[in-house]
Amino acid sequence: MAVSESVSTMVAARRSTAQQTRAENRTLTKLTIGPSPWVRAGALAALVVVAALWLLPLAWGAVTSFKHEAEAALPASWWPSQGWTLDAYRQVLGNSELLGWMWNSLVVAVLVTALTVLISAMAAFAFSQTLFKGRSLLQFLTVASIMMPGQILIVPLFKQMQALGLVDTFAGIVLPQVVAPVMVFILKRFFDAIPAELLDAARIDGAGTWRLFWTIVLPLSRSILVAVAIFVFIGAWNNFLWPFIVTTDPQFMTLPVGLSTVKNAYGVQYAQNMASAMIAALPLLVVFMLFQRRIVQGVATTGMGGQ
Amino acid sequence: MKTRQGTSGAVSGSRPSRAQGRFHRRSGPSGAADDVGLSRRHLLQAALVGAGGVALGGALSGCATPEASGSGRTSVMIWDLFSGGDGALMQEMVGAVAKANPDIAVDSTTLAWGAPYYTKLAMASSGGRPPEAAVMHMSRLAGYAPGGLLEPFDLDALADLGVTQDHFAPAVWEKAQFDGQLYALPLDTHPYIAFHNPAIAGDAGLLGADGRLAIAPGADAFLDAGRAMAEVTGETGVSWGYLRDPAGCWRTFWGLYNQNGGGYDLTPGKPAELDERAAEEVFEFLQEMVDGTVAAKNQDGGAASGRFMSDRTGVMFAGEWDLPMFRDANPDVGASPFPAIFDQPANYADSHSFVLPRQARPDPAKREATYRVLAGLLKEGLTWASAGHIPAYQPVVETPEYQELTPQRDYASAAEIAVFDPDAWFTGGGSDFQTRMGDSMTDTLSGKATPASAVTRILGEMNRFLSQPSPA
Amino acid sequence: MTASSTSLSAPVARPSRRGTGTRTRPVADTARSSLRARDRSGYLFVAPFAVATGLFLLWPTVYGLWMSFTDQSLTATESSFIGIDNYVEAFSDPQVWTTLWHTVWFTVLSTVPLVVVALLMALLVHTGLPGQWVWRMSFFAPFLLTSAVVSSLASWLFQPEIGLLDVWLAKLGLGPVGWLTDENVAMFSIALVTVWWTVGFNFLLYLAALQGIPQQQYEAATIDGAGGWRRLFSITLPQMKTITGVIVVLQLLASLKVFDQIYLLTAGGPNGSTRPILEYVYDMGFTNYRLGYASAISYVFFALILVFTLVRLLPTKKEA
Repeated sequence: MAVSESVSTMVAARRSTAQQTRAENRTLTKLTIGPSPWVRAGALAALVVVAALWLLPLAWGAVTSFKHEAEAALPASWWPSQGWTLDAYRQVLGNSELLGWMWNSLVVAVLVTALTVLISAMAAFAFSQTLFKGRSLLQFLTVASIMMPGQILIVPLFKQMQALGLVDTFAGIVLPQVVAPVMVFILKRFFDAIPAELLDAARIDGAGTWRLFWTIVLPLSRSILVAVAIFVFIGAWNNFLWPFIVTTDPQFMTLPVGLSTVKNAYGVQYAQNMASAMIAALPLLVVFMLFQRRIVQGVATTGMGGQ
Repeated sequence: MKTRQGTSGAVSGSRPSRAQGRFHRRSGPSGAADDVGLSRRHLLQAALVGAGGVALGGALSGCATPEASGSGRTSVMIWDLFSGGDGALMQEMVGAVAKANPDIAVDSTTLAWGAPYYTKLAMASSGGRPPEAAVMHMSRLAGYAPGGLLEPFDLDALADLGVTQDHFAPAVWEKAQFDGQLYALPLDTHPYIAFHNPAIAGDAGLLGADGRLAIAPGADAFLDAGRAMAEVTGETGVSWGYLRDPAGCWRTFWGLYNQNGGGYDLTPGKPAELDERAAEEVFEFLQEMVDGTVAAKNQDGGAASGRFMSDRTGVMFAGEWDLPMFRDANPDVGASPFPAIFDQPANYADSHSFVLPRQARPDPAKREATYRVLAGLLKEGLTWASAGHIPAYQPVVETPEYQELTPQRDYASAAEIAVFDPDAWFTGGGSDFQTRMGDSMTDTLSGKATPASAVTRILGEMNRFLSQPSPA
Repeated sequence: MTASSTSLSAPVARPSRRGTGTRTRPVADTARSSLRARDRSGYLFVAPFAVATGLFLLWPTVYGLWMSFTDQSLTATESSFIGIDNYVEAFSDPQVWTTLWHTVWFTVLSTVPLVVVALLMALLVHTGLPGQWVWRMSFFAPFLLTSAVVSSLASWLFQPEIGLLDVWLAKLGLGPVGWLTDENVAMFSIALVTVWWTVGFNFLLYLAALQGIPQQQYEAATIDGAGGWRRLFSITLPQMKTITGVIVVLQLLASLKVFDQIYLLTAGGPNGSTRPILEYVYDMGFTNYRLGYASAISYVFFALILVFTLVRLLPTKKEA
């Protein structure tokens, strides 16, 4: 019963936050554009138009993906005369390596996110809460490396991966992506704000550094860690250039690389192309719909480099 | 130090994935109870795992080999660049070969055609996991073979499978050699030819008794024929789309330049040499052709084939690989070698061939299986020919079945007078060179510049390529 | 995400600017050093990050610099030192300058709308009108797509004759437009796609900034009788100045690194008219195998970005 009780409290809480938000939004409307119904209608109309424009390419792709191939190649019509079909999806899922690439993308994105968050948080913690020889030098180097655009390193990095035998391996795809000095700084600024007394108290109790990090700092920083993780995950899932350079075997390609490198032997098929695109787009879109608030916050806080 | 040794075995050894697993496990909730000393040890492990990129690499690549090799069959991967009709036929041939060799799992992958294909192939051969075999344009061989990215074929092994030199046209076989060894196994010859619409050509009086296109040799005769067809259609006579098709421009030019007896010297480090007069004559002819009557001005490839397929022109210059498309529009479409505009017999062509990318870890079983698959594919040439390509494996061409294929048999002779791209590391199908060449002549073809200026620009571009060090 | 998605090492290779965030408390080092000083295990915590940075950022940077002075090729194992030959060639190679110009041109074409449209979107959403969830979703959704999906969708819209855009133009009696095939149009089409794709990111940054404006300011202005437009121009927009500066700089740095969408939509064509410098690096290094020369071009480009970054850091220092 406790469960249902807590669920009902949660639902009630949600409802009340929703009501609260609605009230806040009404106030906001009054404050920003005033009470005039005309201005309001105008702004709403503008929103509708822009949103429609922004959803149009996706909608058109989705419509095409449910058409028969023969009809997809006819000049644009939103409503197919031959009816809707799942043929394109069946073809794509049955005959292509799409699911394999998706799996690769997932593995790569999860590994990149986990490793990036872990090593960035550890480094940020060290910069923020410990003293050691060479700290300022390392900190300076980290700042400096923020200015290094990774894209210009594709040539030496490929050569390096070739020498290490990491071309066409997950390690080769993942490792160069885990270096994210910006994230170290975002996290460091957050860790700086952790009350010193809290850590000192734990130290007096004899807690080791690892324990400070793991049981105090990390739990206190859950929100920023999630924000960083979200940001890193989106970037890794969508990253194109490096996986494109370092994979040549179609079996190891990530979704974006596979989609754009391996072609259908049976020619350009618009409905199937769009079905692949929809399948590739779906995971992140669904995740976004489920966790919109979190993701919006995460991107906004992380996107500016933690300003 | 002790800890380090303790973990280093796991980290740099054969199964470093355990180190990673240990790190994750220990640094979990139990880590909270550890004392200072222990936590340091964990940190060290963590550091080693995080830092040991190479070792971790081994772990990740070790656990990530997605190859399903449980079936006991030898897997042979072949890359190709065929899409559309070609792709479907290649799949059919692969299917037939796989059926005949049940112990081999043939995995054919189609990659995006053009520069990206060759780039990926080079990158795979130079450090990745290259396929066992790959399709390559013969014209690219000069850029590939010297770099050590390919392995030569073993003639004895091929002979055991019934594939020998006398089964191929001499011009093609010779082009497949590098440094005295066979580096490419030719699958076909695909010339740039002239398609015709029999009804229109017939009305213009250009068909011979055998139903083939009969235009007298020489530039004037061809232009007259074009005008005659233009009269029939009421529009233009010949479809040639030169805009936004640099490769098409280059193919036309190089074929005609060879017909006009032009030679070349492309030696790296030295200025390019062409017969400038011969080249100018070619441009003069092409300018004359693109006069709005014989062929439309400012036409691109799409518009050119659109006009031809909707019966608004009588002749179309195109690669034979467009045959399926034209035949869909007009089942009676005819074809013949590129018209003789100048004196020498020559027909621009390229050849799809199979090459063996260099393997980091050669596997005799795979190699043997690969040879069997490739020989099998050559012998499926009749299927391949249905798309328009002329099979390189002559026993196929000599079959009665092939001799009944129309219009394929009508242009098969183009293979005998085939001229390929000039030999240099930077030339060939899908190369930047072809694009640059084509782009240099667009202004001249559309009448905005003189023939001489196109020649100057071509030479300039060639010199730029020659001044770059050969990468191999 | 022009750059974020293409970035190698970080999803956002963006310089952080240290401002005074509300959450950050200035911490005097000495205040906590007593206990911290005893904690000397910090280097162990930095080690994984430091080693990863060393291996996959610093070492390739040094190695690439070395390569730029050699004739290293993709295919050959040996290479020799050739001094500054590659740089001499790069400075006299017209393609370097052409592709550099394309990169700058794309940056200009994309940055302006990416900032202006994002601000307009944020202002509209910040009105608190109903449907907040839908608006945020619509504007931000494209940002979540990978470049491969974006370019599939875009080339399908741009498809000659049967693409939605040409069909609609034809209905209006216009077109067809050579969206990706006309040299004079292609770069605009690419910028258009880029705006559609990545504007959601800047939109969220603006929205966060707008939400940071204290409501009392609006209330006070309302009491003073300021209308909606007055409030927009005298309260909202002035407070967007700082963030706009930041967004512009982030966007410029991101746009300069353009590669994905151009490579996938036109591969630099038609007639090389959209090829950005990063693609030239790729083409030179991997298509023409000239790794040494490609490295030299990368470093010329890097020097440019570095100068740009440093120039923008100078005023910040003066302020501080």
